[in-house]
Amino acid sequence: MAGILASGLGVLAHLERLETQVSRSHKQSEELQSMQAQEGALGTKIHKLRRLRDELRAAVWHRRASVKACIANVEPNQTVEINEQEALEEKLENVKAILQAYHFTGLSGKLTSQGVCVCISTAFEGNLLDSYFVDLVIQKPLRIHHHSVPVFIPLEEIAAKYLQTNIQHFLFSLCEYLNAYSGRKYQADRLQSDFAALLTGPLQRNPLCNLLSFTYKLDPGGQSFPFCARLLYKDLTATLPTDVTVTCQGVEASSTSWEEQRASHETLFCTKPLHQVFASFARKGEKLDMSLVS
Amino acid sequence: MDETVAEFIKRTILKIPMNELTTILKAWDFLSENQLQTVNFRQRKESVVQHLIHLCEEKRASISDAALLDIIYMQFHQHQKVWDVFQMSKGPGEDVDLFDMKQFKNSFKKILQRALKNVTVSFRETEENAVWIRIAWGTQYTKPNQYKPTYVVYYSQTPYAFTSSSMLRRNTPLLGQALTIASKHHQIVKMDLRSRYLDSLKAIVFKQYNQTYETHNSTTPLQERSLGLDINLETKFKSGLNGSILAEREEPLRCLIKFSSPHLLEALKSLAPAGIADAPLSPLLTCIPNKRMNYFKIRDK
Repeated sequence: MAGILASGLGVLAHLERLETQVSRSHKQSEELQSMQAQEGALGTKIHKLRRLRDELRAAVWHRRASVKACIANVEPNQTVEINEQEALEEKLENVKAILQAYHFTGLSGKLTSQGVCVCISTAFEGNLLDSYFVDLVIQKPLRIHHHSVPVFIPLEEIAAKYLQTNIQHFLFSLCEYLNAYSGRKYQADRLQSDFAALLTGPLQRNPLCNLLSFTYKLDPGGQSFPFCARLLYKDLTATLPTDVTVTCQGVEASSTSWEEQRASHETLFCTKPLHQVFASFARKGEKLDMSLVS
Repeated sequence: MDETVAEFIKRTILKIPMNELTTILKAWDFLSENQLQTVNFRQRKESVVQHLIHLCEEKRASISDAALLDIIYMQFHQHQKVWDVFQMSKGPGEDVDLFDMKQFKNSFKKILQRALKNVTVSFRETEENAVWIRIAWGTQYTKPNQYKPTYVVYYSQTPYAFTSSSMLRRNTPLLGQALTIASKHHQIVKMDLRSRYLDSLKAIVFKQYNQTYETHNSTTPLQERSLGLDINLETKFKSGLNGSILAEREEPLRCLIKFSSPHLLEALKSLAPAGIADAPLSPLLTCIPNKRMNYFKIRDK
């Protein structure tokens, strides 16, 4: 009884295996067929995309030819009755054209899957400084995905004012702020690194480098009293201060030579970059050449 | 050295894990190199602590020194607190922010001291243009409680400040006032954003992505970074099923649903493919980076 059962089970198992084999080979031939069909469909798609690419290339060349003449008169994007897709494409074209035109002013960009990533390279006095990027998603509304702009630069304010209506103005304004910040930072860094000998205390600065406070001597190690300078940069798009106060403590108010020096220093700080002023201090030693005040 | 100061320093040092002790003591920079060299850090912790307290006594540590040590400990153990985010704003047409750290510290301290008389305020600046503020609260008649301080991390020349939520609620308005006035802002609001991870909060609030342009892969959305966040939904439970205990109540059940994960947004993304949730996911669960909120209240329509 057990023997018949066992061989019966063996036959069943064998039948099962054969069944699986057949269904597997069915499956495989089915898969092969569907893959072949997919391949055919993809081939057609490739042809279609290639044609589209060639058409777009032709359009881009066309556009480039007229970019220079148009750039000065670029108007804010007009959202007339074009459908959304066309409006977005137009925005993308606009950004590309702007980047083309501004390449040499430190603004460049590359296309991304969702829009464009803009890179702003800052410079001051011919020195290439830090670069910052802004990742824009071309959607409705236009959106900043993420960025490497320092947190204390008013990016949100600038975006709120210009991003939706005038990308060009947005990029230009941001460039201004970043270049000015870079320039101020450069001056403060140079002062700290190159002219530490003339400073009699640490340089007080804030993140935007728009308030600098320091004390300095023209003759380090000498007997003269130190000057105290306080530079305010109320214009965040400028690299020169808007307000300068220089005081000289411990000196008789009636001393005219100190008063003259003090006043001339104030003028210098207002008109020349910080590190250049100190370079002139270092060059002239005790005697300040009045001809520098131009 | 005051007994309460000694006790506070002792308890602070006891909290510090042995492997961090020398790093934190060096950052504190209160005990000299020579003094630290006399300590045998391989002893039992209690003996090490006793020796350190003795050295602090020699140097006459004050409550400010102790407070500074506490700040440094908290900087190393940020995740022990839950952090709230406050956003300040200026009035229209206000002047450019000429932030002066000295002025800020003086102003902040004065405002609190004038209101409370007994309060310990300490500051520690970091390299990223942030200042850590520690406030131990007292009242007109009681000394400050050093064991329940509030910590604030303020990024100067930005509108944002992060505060540890463990504070006594009645001091919130005063803290807000002090921050706003000292930083020359007009208004302050609490954002619906809260987490143990300061870095995650910073990433959302500042939308920053610190990679160089060349290697920047802009197709990687912010969502894919591990944010270690929780999502909190306050809502009412309503069931369409009959015979459900929760649905048979007269008033719908109010509840707080908390989604928590070290990689929360990743986890949520996998819900739909796993068949657990319908696609597309509710925008409540995916809008965190865009709306900068992770605490939602769902009301009846």
